Amino acid sequence: MISNYNHKLILVAVLAIVSVISCSDPWDDHAKMVDANLNEKLNIRINNTPETSDFGALLIETGYDSILSSAKTYTVWVPTNEAMAQVDASVLADMEDKQLFVLNHIALTSYSSVTDKDTVSVAMLSDKYLEFKNGNMIAESNVLTADQYAENGLYHIIDKALTPRRNIWEYLQDEAASNAMSKFIMSLDEFDIYPSDSLPKAMAEKSEEIMFADSLTNSYLLNVYNLNNEKNKYTFFLLEDEGYKNQVETLKPYLNKGTTDSTTTYASYFAVRDMAFHKSYSRENLPDALTSRFGVKVPVNKNRILEEVKLSNGILFKMSTVDVPLEKRLLSTVIEGENPSGFSQGDKRINTFYREKASPSGEPFSDIMVQNHEVPKFGIYYTANNLYSTTYRVYWRAVNDIQENTFQQALRIGGEFQADGTVANPIASLPYTDVPPDDYSEVFIGEFTLEEAGNLDLITLLAANTAVNGQNTLTLDYLKFVPVIK
Amino acid sequence: MIKINKKILTCGALAILLGFTSCEDYLDVKPQDKLNEEQVYNDLYDADAAVVGIYGKLMGLAGKYIVLNELRADLISPTRNSSPDIEELNTHTVSKDNPYANPRDFYEVINNCNDALKNFRVMLENNKIDADEFNERYADIGTLRSWLYLQLGMHYGEVPYVTEPIEKLEDLQNENLYPRLRLEDLIKELINFTEGLPYTDPYNQNSSLVVDVDGYNTAKFFINKEVVLGDLQLWNGNYTEAASHYKNVMETSSNGTDSYYYDTYRIIYNSPNTVDLGVEYQRYREQDARALINSNTDGWGSIFARDQDDRWNQEWIWSLPFDSNFAPENPFINLFSIQSGDYVLKPSQRAIALWNNQNQLNGFPYDARGKIFSYLDVGGNPVVKKYLYNFLSEETQMPVDVFNRDGRWFLYRAAKLHLRFAEAANRDGHHKLADALLNYGIQNAYTVDGVEDVSDIEQTNLPFPYNFDARKGDFPFYRGPWYRNGGIRGRAYVERAEVVGDSLIAIENNIIEEAALELAFEGNRWGDLVRVAIHRNDPSFLADKVYEKLAAEGNPEANSVRARLMSRQNWFLPFKWENQED
Repeated sequence: MISNYNHKLILVAVLAIVSVISCSDPWDDHAKMVDANLNEKLNIRINNTPETSDFGALLIETGYDSILSSAKTYTVWVPTNEAMAQVDASVLADMEDKQLFVLNHIALTSYSSVTDKDTVSVAMLSDKYLEFKNGNMIAESNVLTADQYAENGLYHIIDKALTPRRNIWEYLQDEAASNAMSKFIMSLDEFDIYPSDSLPKAMAEKSEEIMFADSLTNSYLLNVYNLNNEKNKYTFFLLEDEGYKNQVETLKPYLNKGTTDSTTTYASYFAVRDMAFHKSYSRENLPDALTSRFGVKVPVNKNRILEEVKLSNGILFKMSTVDVPLEKRLLSTVIEGENPSGFSQGDKRINTFYREKASPSGEPFSDIMVQNHEVPKFGIYYTANNLYSTTYRVYWRAVNDIQENTFQQALRIGGEFQADGTVANPIASLPYTDVPPDDYSEVFIGEFTLEEAGNLDLITLLAANTAVNGQNTLTLDYLKFVPVIK
Repeated sequence: MIKINKKILTCGALAILLGFTSCEDYLDVKPQDKLNEEQVYNDLYDADAAVVGIYGKLMGLAGKYIVLNELRADLISPTRNSSPDIEELNTHTVSKDNPYANPRDFYEVINNCNDALKNFRVMLENNKIDADEFNERYADIGTLRSWLYLQLGMHYGEVPYVTEPIEKLEDLQNENLYPRLRLEDLIKELINFTEGLPYTDPYNQNSSLVVDVDGYNTAKFFINKEVVLGDLQLWNGNYTEAASHYKNVMETSSNGTDSYYYDTYRIIYNSPNTVDLGVEYQRYREQDARALINSNTDGWGSIFARDQDDRWNQEWIWSLPFDSNFAPENPFINLFSIQSGDYVLKPSQRAIALWNNQNQLNGFPYDARGKIFSYLDVGGNPVVKKYLYNFLSEETQMPVDVFNRDGRWFLYRAAKLHLRFAEAANRDGHHKLADALLNYGIQNAYTVDGVEDVSDIEQTNLPFPYNFDARKGDFPFYRGPWYRNGGIRGRAYVERAEVVGDSLIAIENNIIEEAALELAFEGNRWGDLVRVAIHRNDPSFLADKVYEKLAAEGNPEANSVRARLMSRQNWFLPFKWENQED
């Protein structure tokens, strides 16, 4: 019996051990969450960290602690209490400002300090974009403690608050009262530089920011750069009143619109349109010249910089003046032969050749040739925009590479259609000019003078006044109008 | 004791019961989703199913075929999206676990071929199929296997040549079990086997394998045996035999009742106001770039876009369709499309330069086969277009329906046939004929200006396979079978390729360059470079072209790659792969 009893005892012991062992599954232990941080939402973690309690309090005040307790993943750059103490009171003046301030510290999804990219552009909930560099700097704030985690994301503790900045457009709006250039730009809300501006402006107003987040309500935003766009970076030169007025005055003779008011408006527009540039350049990185969207090379004189203003979508330089020489400012107009606006009659498509050729030196070009059309004075129509009120020297490149003979063609500038389809009262009729075989050079063909700046809706390349094929051929690679400085 | 007896009884009964139930039948359940050996190869339709199954499996190799044959050569480059594996192929520094270098997929299809071939022989012995049925199928699968081995040979240099089904593909890596053949020896073996096959024509039009299914006619699904024989003989340097095989295919319409006697596989000139497969402008408007005929039903691009109509059949010799509704998936959209694929591969700068160095007959300074038809520009990125014709809208060049991924694997067409024939003829001493087929066709090369009676001109006056009659005369009346032949460059509307220096070398250079212009991205380039480099015993022929591709794109390894490729053993991929479960 004793031995039997012993057996039973051993059995019980074994059973007990088995039950104990099987109670704790090592895999479960392994997978079990032991880090308490991961049980707490971001807002709780921030609030419970003593050195960030001020920002935590602001979170609660603005009600944004609720979004940080949601299930989405966020990253928060949290300023220390010392950093919060240094924030200018005006930044947190009312609830709206406070909310913007808080949103400028929060981004959706997690941005760890460990990344293979040196610079990450982070879209903050304020719609501003801040650069997170090497995981240890955001904008101009240093990260003190990185990668603190919570159930729904990360936070980094930083030494300086991320005070939201205005963008270039907002800055210009605020300057309008004191600065003539800003004031003029804002006046383009009402005034349409081009007739086609009115439609998008009307659309933008009607949609009330629903359809187009960055509604373009100003002719400057429409035609130059959308300086209200947070996603791009720009450089902008804001001139002091005197420098600005000088620039406008130098342009006035070339932008004569008939009335003094219009002339001033357009001269002003042409002066300011070359003051915005794509990409942002800090003072150290400014090159000797920047090229505007319109191809004007603007010389940069760093001595004229009065102030460098860092803004959320770029850098604005307050300048005493920016001198753009007229030679650089007044651009040549090039009209491509293969982009006609029309023809004197529409039934000659079969004789119209859009060609892709190469010069003997191998340089490719595209041109137009109209051949064997049997119509005396057949015409190809072109248009040109944004011409200045000055004299233009006219050149063309017209390649006659498939005929043996020389033929002639002429250029007529402007004019009005008459009831019978002819054109009367042209601004200028340049003389018939030879187009010899295999001449690939640019040829000077004459001059014309515009009294008023603006567009030319009718430029005609005219064939010879003969029905003889081979004599009435037209060919054009491009026209070049070079403005003459008065 | 009774107790004990009971126990024993129970145990015994259980044992007996177990013994019964565990008998064979119980455990030997036949799988319901697979066939076993006794269930297949019972009649003709089983044999057909095996053939179709092998081609289905073959299509799984399409992506790899293009990647290996183009990326390792000079016409295709990796994009910014490419993986390190792709970069390795580009710079010929392939590591052994590179999935593209794994020859296992090829051997899977070869093993299927071997299995089918073995069973076809058994079926013939057992009278389950008759001799004609056997010959057609056996020759088809046999030739396909030879084609696969040729592919393996040109990429791996030395491979085991296995002709019987094997159990474990992994054993192939063991050189003691499966000794490897050098490329040259492999090709000799392949010629021995393939020339001995009992049948060389395509499947008979009445064959149970030539049917219309899901909107496709299957006739051109199957490999053309004569072109494979031609290729093998060409690789081996038997130029007359190669030309003979090619010529048999070129004359396809001469035998039988083809209603397109003058057109099929003859590379005909463009005629005004007809549907053509050439680069053509609207009549009298050749100077107008916008008058280029460029639609999915007409013009050179339609070769890759058109439905299987008469003109399609006059060009295509072997092509397999991918259909969105059936596996395998079309791999080309992922490889090439930037709009809804991964855009892994793009045309190389060198390929683009080759096209832009040509002049069209109207003076336009580029080959329309390049920037109009073979690739397109999407926001500054060159994109291979040949495989995307049916995927992109004709008007907008945007995907019509991203889920419709129909497409084709382009394997053999008349232009390739003519270029290969010309290569063989040129090597066989018939330079003028080769130059004629490459440039403006037989008639143009053999005519005499101003002679009206063409009885004695406009023909080669050579024996088979170099006999071409391109006479076209009205007094007396002649229409030779080749009178419409317009030459590869004539059809492409480009200026003739001049012969500079030694005829043989110059014309061969022209032919290989033309193959780039005409057949780019169709998976022929690596083979062309290796073959000619071997025939010339000049590795620089291959190394220089790869170097130029890399150098044009600023690849810092261009020089070292050239140096490596100057040794023949570095042309080839490692014949190794990580073992995996079957």
